[in-house]
Amino acid sequence: MYEVRFHGRGGQGAVMAAQALAEAAVIEGRHAQAFPYFGAERRGAPVMAFARIDDRKISIKSQVYEPDLLVVLDESLLDIEPVARGLKKDGKAVINTRKLPTEIDLGVEVECATVPATSIAMEFLKAPIVNTAILGAVVRMCDLVSMESMQQAIANRFGEKFGETAAKANAAAAAAAHAQAAIGRCKGRRPLAQKKEWLPAWNEIPIGTTLDERIVDGVTVGPGGARQNLTGSWRVQTPRYDKEKCVRCQRCWFSCPEGCIKREEDEYVRWDLNYCKGCGICAQVCPVKAIDMIKGGSR
Amino acid sequence: MSEMRTIKDMPVNDMFVSGHGACAGCGMAVAVKNIMRILGADTTVYVPASCLVVISAMYPTSNFRTPYLFTAFENTGAVTTGIRAAQRRRGLSSTVVGLAGDGGTFDIGLQALSGAAERNEDILYVCLDNEGYMNTGIQRSGATPFGAWTTTTPVGTKVEGKREFKKDIMAIIAAHDPPYAASLSIAHFNDFIKKVEKAKAKKGFRFLHVMTPCVPGWRSDPSMTVEIARMAVETGMWTLYEIEDGEARTTYKPQTMLPVTDYLKLQGRFRHMENGDVAKLQEWLCAKWYLHYGNDMEQPVCATFEKMKRVRHPHEEQLHFI
Ligand SMILES: Cc1ncc(C[n+]2csc(CCOP(=O)(O)OP(=O)(O)O)c2C)c(N)n1
Ligand code: SF4
Ligand code: SF4
Ligand code: SF4
Ligand SMILES: [Mg+2]
Repeated sequence: MYEVRFHGRGGQGAVMAAQALAEAAVIEGRHAQAFPYFGAERRGAPVMAFARIDDRKISIKSQVYEPDLLVVLDESLLDIEPVARGLKKDGKAVINTRKLPTEIDLGVEVECATVPATSIAMEFLKAPIVNTAILGAVVRMCDLVSMESMQQAIANRFGEKFGETAAKANAAAAAAAHAQAAIGRCKGRRPLAQKKEWLPAWNEIPIGTTLDERIVDGVTVGPGGARQNLTGSWRVQTPRYDKEKCVRCQRCWFSCPEGCIKREEDEYVRWDLNYCKGCGICAQVCPVKAIDMIKGGSR
Repeated sequence: MSEMRTIKDMPVNDMFVSGHGACAGCGMAVAVKNIMRILGADTTVYVPASCLVVISAMYPTSNFRTPYLFTAFENTGAVTTGIRAAQRRRGLSSTVVGLAGDGGTFDIGLQALSGAAERNEDILYVCLDNEGYMNTGIQRSGATPFGAWTTTTPVGTKVEGKREFKKDIMAIIAAHDPPYAASLSIAHFNDFIKKVEKAKAKKGFRFLHVMTPCVPGWRSDPSMTVEIARMAVETGMWTLYEIEDGEARTTYKPQTMLPVTDYLKLQGRFRHMENGDVAKLQEWLCAKWYLHYGNDMEQPVCATFEKMKRVRHPHEEQLHFI
């Protein structure tokens, strides 16, 4: 059985990519499955999708923990999540980036294809929807399915939803990515953090309706414990504050959905970027344009 | 208790903490965060199935620093009633608030809500209205406006978005004659604060109706969430008022009514709308506008429509705005 894990951001189409890959395998008479990770996170958040391909009927239903192939739709995820966790030593990786495989540090040294899927998508689809382009590179990286089956699967998937022209453009994007993919070996230097989780069994749950805030096995649980979820990793643009211009109206403080703007004693404001998702509301509501949004997630 | 008049009077302590999973630019998160700042620590929260429970309560953590309960979708009126009853029995008292979506209020939760309102339970019911069942992937609700695209009011050759107009939930609530009911906008900061504070201070059944723009559901730009809420008020798609002990009072009246297209063009869910449907919506809005703000001031955008031919429901007399 061949197992694939896709990493992307909500809204990038990781699920659609997993489905198209599975469909290509089915076209070739094999068995396949594809499904998303059911998390609570929404648009912009790191998400996963999974696919399995086999010659026999697949009965396993779990997530993919030890993939043979890793597909990363958004390079920025490498710095915020241990995406390569569990990747097999002889596994493979496909990454959307302008860099060459040797310039990528995945945390596991494996055979790797890199492809500038975002610019290919901009060229063919006029939008940064990278999920079809990256599938072209997947075909190039491993002989899992043929390019014909993949293009057929893309046409089926996307044609059904967006019409024939869109299906053709998507298939063309995949072909371009197939041609442009660079193959090599990536680096395996960065440490891959172990995921911390605490999921109590029924008899470990304290008696009473609500848990108090406490730390169990290094994980904060209970009311307010969601603070450990640093949503700043979703950000692709960052607010910049010009204190000189600020008239201390507190509108940005009121309007930020994340509560990451803090009010100082002197009524000026301060940012806790650990949580800022880069929505841009603060810049939009500021009456004196003391905030503007700059490209990029870190600062 | 000191009276809050502006943002600067608000407590800075967050009771709904950072680290929730809402989409970037979520209007519901803006509303909940500020409501919780004003209600403060001495609050018990109930949330039914909705986006809010999913983004803020991934067991074993939550974003509420207060006690927080969650049961089924249709139960907000009943469960908040029960929490308050249990408190009375144990000699406790805190603000009991139910934070429900529009689906959980207008549709499936309506009977439990009506029961609680009719019994005048001592609870605060907040409807976070994003005009659709967003948690399950954007289906229509009784709150979805005319013309809007949802996955169950698709745009095709036969239908072009929702064919029915938005249900007037505030009129239904008003018919229960509660001590306090108000509509709020996240773009009218001071008005928002005053209403939440008033609702907190009163006893008996209190209802707050907040418009909460939704980025994927409304197909809007995340940075425009507050601006969309503001335009809703300027075009009459949302009206700001309160009903206190039977008296209705407009709390903000726009200078002149802006054409509804100024609101529609900010959202992809209306992109398909053709002139005929836009005119139909505008006509409906004009009737609503004159009902709320009186018809002594002729609105230029309504000049082509005849003034309100529809039969007035007797109850609307009580909802007469001046
Ligand atoms: C009885 C029942 N039916 C259906 C569902 C599935 N469900 C969960 S949340 C939801 C939609 C909630 O819509 P709304 O109340 O408007 O809240 P929103 O997610 O839009 O904030 C649905 C249909 C359920 N949990 N229970
Ligand atoms: S961009 Fe501004 S409003 Fe949006 S999350 Fe960041 S600080 Fe808050
Ligand atoms: S909205 Fe602008 S002026 Fe007002 S406090 Fe924020 S940065 Fe300052
Ligand atoms: S779907 Fe809408 S209501 Fe739900 S979290 Fe996203 S923006 Fe908020
Ligand atoms: Mg809703």
